[in-house]
Amino acid sequence: MSENNEKKVHGVVAEYTSVDTLLSACRRVRDAGYVKTDAFTPFPVHGIDKALGIKPTVLPWIVLGAGLTGTATALVMQIWMNTIDYPYIISGKPFLSLPAFMPVAFELTVLFASFGAFFGMWALNGLPKFSNPVFTDPRFDRVTDDRFFLYVDSKDDQFDQGGVEKLLGDTETDYVQTVVDDDSSDKVPKPFFMMWGLVVGLSVIPLLIVLKMRVSNSSQPRFHVFYDMDFSPAKDAQQYSTLFRDGRAMRPDVPGTVARGEEQADLNYMTGINMEALTAIDRPRAERLVRRFNPYFQGETDSAEDAKADVAEDAGQGDASGQGDADQKTQGSEPESAAAAAGDDTSETTGSESTDTDGGASQPAVAEEKPSVMDTTPWLDSNPLVLNEKVLADGRRNFGIYCSVCHGMNGSGNGLVNVRAQKIISPDWIQPSSLHQETLYADKYPDGKLFSTISNGIRKMPGYSGQIKTRDRWAIVAYVRALQLSQNASIEQFKDIDESERAKVLKEQADTKKALKEKADAEAKAAKEKADAEAAKAST
Amino acid sequence: MSEHNAPAPKSADDPAFVLPASLAALRLPLCVVGFILMLAGWLVASKIGEFGDNFGMAVYLTAAVYCITIVLGCLFFVLIQHLVRAGWSIVVRRIAELVMVMIIPMAILFVPVIASLWSGEGTLYRWDRGLEYGVEHGLPKEVWSEKLRWLNQEWFTVRTVGYFAVWIGLALFFFKNSVLQDKTGDKAITDKMQYWSGPAVMLFSLTTTFAAFDWVMSLAPMWFSTMFGVYLFAGSILGAHCLLAVSSYVLQKKGAMRDEVTVEHYHDLGKLIFGFVFFWTYISFSQYLLIWYGNIPEETEWFYVRQIGSWGTVALVLIFFHWMLPFAGTMSRHVRRKPGLVCAWGAYLLVMHYVDVYFMIMPSVEGESPGGVMGVVASIMCVVGMAALLSGLCLILAQQNKVVAVHDPRLRESIAFENF
Repeated sequence: MSENNEKKVHGVVAEYTSVDTLLSACRRVRDAGYVKTDAFTPFPVHGIDKALGIKPTVLPWIVLGAGLTGTATALVMQIWMNTIDYPYIISGKPFLSLPAFMPVAFELTVLFASFGAFFGMWALNGLPKFSNPVFTDPRFDRVTDDRFFLYVDSKDDQFDQGGVEKLLGDTETDYVQTVVDDDSSDKVPKPFFMMWGLVVGLSVIPLLIVLKMRVSNSSQPRFHVFYDMDFSPAKDAQQYSTLFRDGRAMRPDVPGTVARGEEQADLNYMTGINMEALTAIDRPRAERLVRRFNPYFQGETDSAEDAKADVAEDAGQGDASGQGDADQKTQGSEPESAAAAAGDDTSETTGSESTDTDGGASQPAVAEEKPSVMDTTPWLDSNPLVLNEKVLADGRRNFGIYCSVCHGMNGSGNGLVNVRAQKIISPDWIQPSSLHQETLYADKYPDGKLFSTISNGIRKMPGYSGQIKTRDRWAIVAYVRALQLSQNASIEQFKDIDESERAKVLKEQADTKKALKEKADAEAKAAKEKADAEAAKAST
Repeated sequence: MSEHNAPAPKSADDPAFVLPASLAALRLPLCVVGFILMLAGWLVASKIGEFGDNFGMAVYLTAAVYCITIVLGCLFFVLIQHLVRAGWSIVVRRIAELVMVMIIPMAILFVPVIASLWSGEGTLYRWDRGLEYGVEHGLPKEVWSEKLRWLNQEWFTVRTVGYFAVWIGLALFFFKNSVLQDKTGDKAITDKMQYWSGPAVMLFSLTTTFAAFDWVMSLAPMWFSTMFGVYLFAGSILGAHCLLAVSSYVLQKKGAMRDEVTVEHYHDLGKLIFGFVFFWTYISFSQYLLIWYGNIPEETEWFYVRQIGSWGTVALVLIFFHWMLPFAGTMSRHVRRKPGLVCAWGAYLLVMHYVDVYFMIMPSVEGESPGGVMGVVASIMCVVGMAALLSGLCLILAQQNKVVAVHDPRLRESIAFENF
């Protein structure tokens, strides 16, 4: 030992051959008051921490803190992402819906807690530690095999080399050794640096490739790493699919489907038709309507009769559609063509299909003989909604969303789609109706009929029952009436307006008329002058 | 410390292994008072409201399911200790063994539920109202008639008898063998019990799952959740560990097994309570999450009624007081190493387990806000009565036997057991 005296002493280590001798030595060292001690064993020894007097670790607190951080991170992240930064409706749930956030919160709690436990253990044990002074003694190698070692560190306040050696020598040990500095070189071997450099160098390559691609051009087609993510196999609306016989990718509702919140027992409200009156004049059609809104309805007529009626209805639809196609070319009278839409109690049959099957040639004659179903249907005369400001506001909002693109914000029939169609001179475009014609006023075109048209469509206009809720369709009807009134109202229609107000309006009206007249006169005068001037110029 | 250094267990005749006299004196009073209280609660509940009879039956069923779940939890505890050949739990296993035999009185106490089912239509189980009931509630006839092939009086009764037969068989097998070992000290008995514990656990899980479906889930016959059996079981096994902690503590206070059950055993029971509190939360939340996310009317029905009004408050009570509070409370090692605190949390969770069972059963009873305050009082009377009756019967059994498995080959290991 004397030759090691000039070296720095790290501590003293003693070797034991059994757990029991190690434990009793640990207790003696502990009782002697040493704190900076450590035991090395080939396997975990129960009770060693108690024997060495090791205090309970603070690791649980680290784990708890890390776990709570995980919970908080998950919640804050999800709330920030889905509620604040990019509000996005998923499965119709609220933006901030805690149940959906729980699985992630749970997983992150577990993940962070595990990290806390793992790296906390590293930190508390001073890991990673590549070398330890006790390794200098070759005899220490047997600690992974069949020997137990007890180590007292020189950093201990009580440490005194002779005393510790004596204390350990008194225990059941044959071998006490002073641990001194390792005299081998502390330089890291060169191959380590080379390996490290190689790994860093290789790991930069993908980054460089990405960088190069970001700043250079290529004539090659783009490389898709995840093809399905760039080109989703899911179909968009209106796309074709070979999966289904009808070729449509988007599946129509199953007949009888009723949307959530749309359950209504009141068929008048659902159809815009006075069902009692309809039952009296056309029972089969009434029953079909009932069945359409209630699949469980059992009719009173027997099935044979029912089937016959269905056939008749299909035929009727056929001629109505044929007529409709003709109308599209001739801009013919509206009610007859509308039968195609209004008669579609079974809305799956489209106009073109039935035209194909029926040929359509001989049909118009039949249609002329009997009055159109649009005229005979007993429509509701009034709006079943209680009209108030909210209904009109909703009607206005939905009109703005769904109707105005074609019919225009003021209902004159000149919406943006129409403007565009005129501009490109679209060959099969039918000008949307102006809503301000007398044939569309409430006395000629009852509210129920207007509702039915919105729901089922007419000519080129598709039905909107799938997109707009029943109540909102009625709100649109109410708004259309208000719109019509707004363009054609006279002061006489307002009976309960007070006199001063009436006078004020009349005065404003007169002023406006006068102003308009003056303007028109001025324009006419200017035009005349201009024409005169041009004429004079031409004559000279 | 290794078990080799541990002192040898006391001799089998030591008074530490006998039920203390102060507890034994309670057995008859507990039985009589419990029985009267149970009947009184049931009767009071039956007089409340429009659907009184059904409400009384629901109160009784809640009490019965509460007691059965704890008894079954103890049965499962015994099975799982044998299955994994656990050493630590030997000193408390006999308590679970005594409790699991209470499945026999529970079978008798369950007779009224079956009897009410045979008393005619309009009972607590709404599926007994036939085809029209389903059709009225929006189920197509075909679906409902298929459901009724499973849910009908005859088949329901046969199944119930089957469940009890299996449980009684299991409980008696493991109890009798364990008691036999007390006398003979034959180590082969332990091997035999370990051998049969595997099949027993399988039988147990099937029967409890289907019992939960039949007895509790079918109260809302339109609703279904494949998770439900595990949900009830989670509360059941939690309740069993709580009962073990409380009973050990009481027994030790009264003088039994003072040197055998140590702080280490409370520490382990505490860990298991902590774990099963979260297991219960995990299971019940998983069940909720899937149904909430799917949002299909026939599935959300059950939770919908439990989310509105005062049931919504009870749901919040469960979240905060069946999960968060005990979860935080039993998390610390320092709490788990204090027997008094473990016992207190066990007693607390036994109460919360009742709230959980109440929450499962009561909202399915017909009528607006069934019972009110009187209903709650009646339910508490009924469940306290039934629990007291069972405790009394359990004490009778305990007095005739030892409270620790005195000749178990691992007893010494269990006594010397230490957590590190």
